[in-house]
This record gives sequence, C-alpha cells and structure tokens, in this order.
Amino acid sequence: MIRYISRRVVLAIPVLLGILFITFILNRLIPGDPCRAMLGEKATDEVCDAFFKRYGLDQPPVIQFGYYLGRVVTGDLGDSMRFGRPVTDMLMERLPVTIELALLSLLVATVIGVILGVIAAYWQNSPVDVFTMIFANLGVSVPVFVLGLLAAYLFAVVLKDTPVALPPSGRLTAGVRVEPIAVAWGLESLSGPLRGFLDFLSQMYVINGLLTFNWKLFGDAARHLVLPVLVLSTIPMSVIARMTRSSLLEVMTLDYMRTARAKGLNERNVVFRHAMRNALLPVVTVVGLSLGGLLSGAVLTETIFGLTGVGRTMFDAISSRDYGVIQGFTLVIAFTYVVVNLLVDISYAVLDPRIRLG
Amino acid sequence: MSVTAATAPASVEPIFNTKPRGLWSTAFRRLFRRRSAIIGMIILAALILVAIFAPVLATHDPTKSLIGIENVQKRQGPCIHWLGCPSDQPQHYFGLDGNVRDLYSRILFGARLSLLVGIVSVGFAIVIGAFLGAISGYMGGWTDNLIMGLMDIMLAFPSLILAIAIVTVLGPGLLNTLLAIGIVSIPVYARIMRSSVLAIKQQDYVMADRSIGVPSGRILFGNILPNALTPLIVQGTLGIAVAILDAAALSFLGLGAQPPTPEWGSMIGQERNQVFTAPHLIIFPGFALILTVLGFNLLGDGLRDALDVRQRS
Repeated sequence: MIRYISRRVVLAIPVLLGILFITFILNRLIPGDPCRAMLGEKATDEVCDAFFKRYGLDQPPVIQFGYYLGRVVTGDLGDSMRFGRPVTDMLMERLPVTIELALLSLLVATVIGVILGVIAAYWQNSPVDVFTMIFANLGVSVPVFVLGLLAAYLFAVVLKDTPVALPPSGRLTAGVRVEPIAVAWGLESLSGPLRGFLDFLSQMYVINGLLTFNWKLFGDAARHLVLPVLVLSTIPMSVIARMTRSSLLEVMTLDYMRTARAKGLNERNVVFRHAMRNALLPVVTVVGLSLGGLLSGAVLTETIFGLTGVGRTMFDAISSRDYGVIQGFTLVIAFTYVVVNLLVDISYAVLDPRIRLG
Repeated sequence: MSVTAATAPASVEPIFNTKPRGLWSTAFRRLFRRRSAIIGMIILAALILVAIFAPVLATHDPTKSLIGIENVQKRQGPCIHWLGCPSDQPQHYFGLDGNVRDLYSRILFGARLSLLVGIVSVGFAIVIGAFLGAISGYMGGWTDNLIMGLMDIMLAFPSLILAIAIVTVLGPGLLNTLLAIGIVSIPVYARIMRSSVLAIKQQDYVMADRSIGVPSGRILFGNILPNALTPLIVQGTLGIAVAILDAAALSFLGLGAQPPTPEWGSMIGQERNQVFTAPHLIIFPGFALILTVLGFNLLGDGLRDALDVRQRS
C-alpha cells in the first residue's frame, strides 16, 4: 500500500513541474513588455528596470524559470497589477468561498446523483428511469451560465413573494454579522498558524455559523448558497447518476449476484450490500474528475451570483488583464486538481485491492 | 439421397445471396433503432438547415440596430401578431436586444458560429491529437514518454481554465477561442489514438505487412489509422458538445466572439445583468445553446452504443 502511494506521488511530480512550466511560459508569451503588462502602460523606464531586476527578468529564461520555481515554493505567486498586493494574500482571502461552494456542490452532486442512479437502475426502463435519464442528458447539455441566470430569474423574480424565493446574489443579507471563529470561541489572544487556520475557516460562513452556533448566520449563508450549489452541481450530478446506473446494471449481471439471490437473500440486501460496493467504484473516479468541471464552473457560477471567490476574482482579472492574478490562480487551480486526483487514485486503491496489487 | 440433394442447395443458397454487412451499415442500422440518437440527429439536421438558410429565414439584419427605423424600444419582449400582439406593432419573434437588434435573426446566424466553432476546433484537435497519438503508440520509447507526458500535463488543467489562460495570452477573439479550445482538446484524442494503435499494432496483419517490408508510414496511415477511427468519431461527436459549451463560456466571459458578432454565449454575457427585467435575452439564446449541445450529446451517445466503443484509457 505504502509502495503504491509513494509511486503515485512520485509520478505526480513531473506533472506538477510541467504545470509550473506551462504557467511560466504562458506569462512569457503575453505580447509586449512584461513590465508594462504587469504594471500598466504608464510605468516609467526606471520603474521597469527595478521591476526586471526584482523578478530576475534580465536573466536568461532558464534562470528565470529557476527564480519562478523558487518564488512559488516559498509561496510567492507574484503581485496583482490592479490591486498592488500579493496574489497569495488574495488567494487566501478568496479560497474559502470557493472551497465551501465546490465541496457543497460535490456533496450534493454525489448524494443525489448516486440516489438517482440507483433508482434508475433498480427500476430499469420504468418511467422513473426514463425521466431520470432525460434529466441526466439535459443536465450535461445545459451551459452553467445559462442555468445560473435562469435559476436566478426563476427564484428571485417569478417566485418572488413565495416561501421558496431565494436571493440571487451575494453571500449574506445586509445586517447579518460575521464573527471570526476564534473571537466567538473567546480565543482572541490566539495567534500563529492555528489562528490563521481558524480565520480561513471563518470565511466559510456556513461552517462558521455551524461551529459558533450562530444559526442566523448559518441559515442566511445557506440560503444564499442554495442557487449557486444547485447550478454548479447539475453537471456532475448528471454524470454521476448515469455512471451509477450503468455501473450498477453491469454488476447486477455478474455471477455472484445470482449466487446471492440463490442463497435466498432479499432483494434489498442483494442490491445494497452486494451490488453497490462494486458498482460504486467507478463512481469514485467520476467524483474526482468532476472537480475540474467544478473549478471551471466556479468561474461562471461565482460571476453570476456575485460571490467573491477564486472564480469571480479570475473573471475580474480576465476583464482587467491582471496577468499576475490569472497566472497565479491558474497554477493553484491546476495544482489542486492534480492533488485531488492523486487522492482519488489512492482512495481507489484502498477500496479495490486489485489495483494496488495488480 | 434425393432428399439431401434437394435440400442442400437450398440451405447453401442464402449464404451466397446475402452480402455480409459491413461495420458501417450495421452501425447505421443500430443507430436508427435508438430513439435518443434519432432525436439527436433531428435536432442537428434542423440546426444545420437553420445555419445554411439563416439569411433566408432571418427577418432582419442580425447586426443592424433598429433605432430610428422602427417604433421599438430596446430590450422589448417578443411580439408575434399571430399570438395576439397588436398588428400596429412591428413583429419580432424573440424580441429585441440591448442594442435594439432583432433577437430571432441574431440567434439564427448564431447557429452558424456555434456549429463552426464546434466542428473546426474538434477537427483541429482530432487531426493533431490523432497524429501525436499515432506516433506515440507506434514509436514507443522516449517519443511516447515525451508526447504522453506533455498530454498528461495538459490534462492536469481543467479544460476551461487552460483555455482561458491561452486566450489571455493570444488575445480575445473568435479565432483565438477556436485555437484555444482546439489545443486543450488535443490530449483526449491523442490518448484514444495511442491506445488504439497499441492494440492494433499487435494484430497479425500488421505483423504480416512489416515482415514483407512495408514502410512504417504506410502501415501506420494505411492500415492502423482507418481501424482506429471509430473511437475517434464517437469521442469527436461528444467533444463537439464540450467545445461548443466551452466556446460559449469563453464568449460569455468576454474572451470569445466580440460584439456585434451574433454568438450565443456573448449575447448572454452582454445582457446577463438584464435577466431580471428582460429574461427573453437569456432564455432564447440559452435554449438555442442547450438544444445544440443536447443534439451532439445524444448523437454521440447513440454512436457509442451503435459502434460498440468501450471507453479505453
């Protein structure tokens, strides 16, 4: 097991280096002078000379790449031209919003997707199955931004004065107070990495509300997240539902299923204890792969619903040609994607002995 | 004796009379038996007709503002006389956009762009990807490692994020969007091609060719390539759906087709803040996009079942 894990980790290193190389190249390829691209057209020659020196841009490209590696390893992702502040700081500020959104979406997509898939497979070719598969087919065909805008219109305008009306933008209603977790727990004096972690967690309002028993905050934050999560989870939910269905149908034809029935087990035990365990294996991979779509979708979802997460920041950076932010965020998103898929591979090996032994 | 003599020709005859069905005719028969594939084909056929006959079907110039020409307001909702809209008002099936242009005409012309983007970028990706994958699988060794290593790195980026990064470098525009989406789609086809080539390389007929001294290039492109086509076609059809979605997303973000080009994604992006007051500006181009992507997805799924392609990786 440990050998398998270490082999997977070692194999991921060249990919991570490659990602660094690509983001490095992309930044070099931006047309025009990198100094004026980063600092704006009005930068003077002296400012630019200092800029070149500071980032080692007067050195040959190989050495520049070395510098870039060194900076990234120490957590320096460059500066935002527009805000004049380190990209890493912006990332730390906005990451919690996106993590909360993405994890909730993944959770909803997995739970509902698996349930729908099992229902569809169990009653194969019934109206329930047909309906679920139509939903799944439509789900993968609807652009995230169209779904987002239509959902916002439906829940904020059409259903305005009904109980199911939902806020179409923002993270909280004005007036709802957010307190850092550390403060709520009476740990104001706490500092260092633990405080940093708690402050990071505090930015996830749903978790903050839960941990500090601030139900008003929890409820309001959750209400604001319903639409974005609904929109972002639709595509992975459809994919997971289809995958679960076909995987379960395939497993049900295997010999050991007939054995289980022949032993006289009731149908519920056959499906949930025998079939599901094997049928859910491929679903684990799909869940991991969905994350790439979620991160792309977050750019669109956060833009539509006015959530200041990584995606929204990326969109603003695109609009204002803030290359430093685009480069830094692209790097972090790709890294996250690789690491998550590594974890999925490893969990797959934990679940299926054939993989780690084969 | 006489009995066997009489029956023997009769039992042999059908074998000589029926021609064996080829892969493609079998595939087509299976394709036409699937309801979802037929729906997909109908949608796409309609779409292609709309794209071809857009100038005939359109009621207005898709890029011309009607300010001062007709007595209409910007973002006015649909007006169809047949459905009870007063006949003294000018008729606009899908209403007007923020620049007082006829939305119906713009959506018709948008069909051309979406099909173009999907087919051209996927075509580009298939050609380059198949070429790289074929070389990788056939040569093996360090060539294989190098090419596949590069493909793995590209796959490590979520496709839309990489496309955004590429377009940021190349600069916004429809052509650069095409290129970016084409580039990010290459690894998928390279992988499929490589695994097909690896499987076919072991076949006896390839070995036979090699033993009589047929040059590598001719074996690769004459024998192996045609046999590896089916998974590429299936993946390509599904890939067009993804390409159209990604292109629309880029345009929505303002990186793709630039105004006044009637592109669905950019039309939605331009009017996204008006969704609460003028939902028709989102609904109509939105449904056009959904329908197009659905068409390619349904056809792709149908093709996969009909050609019996299992996902190989």
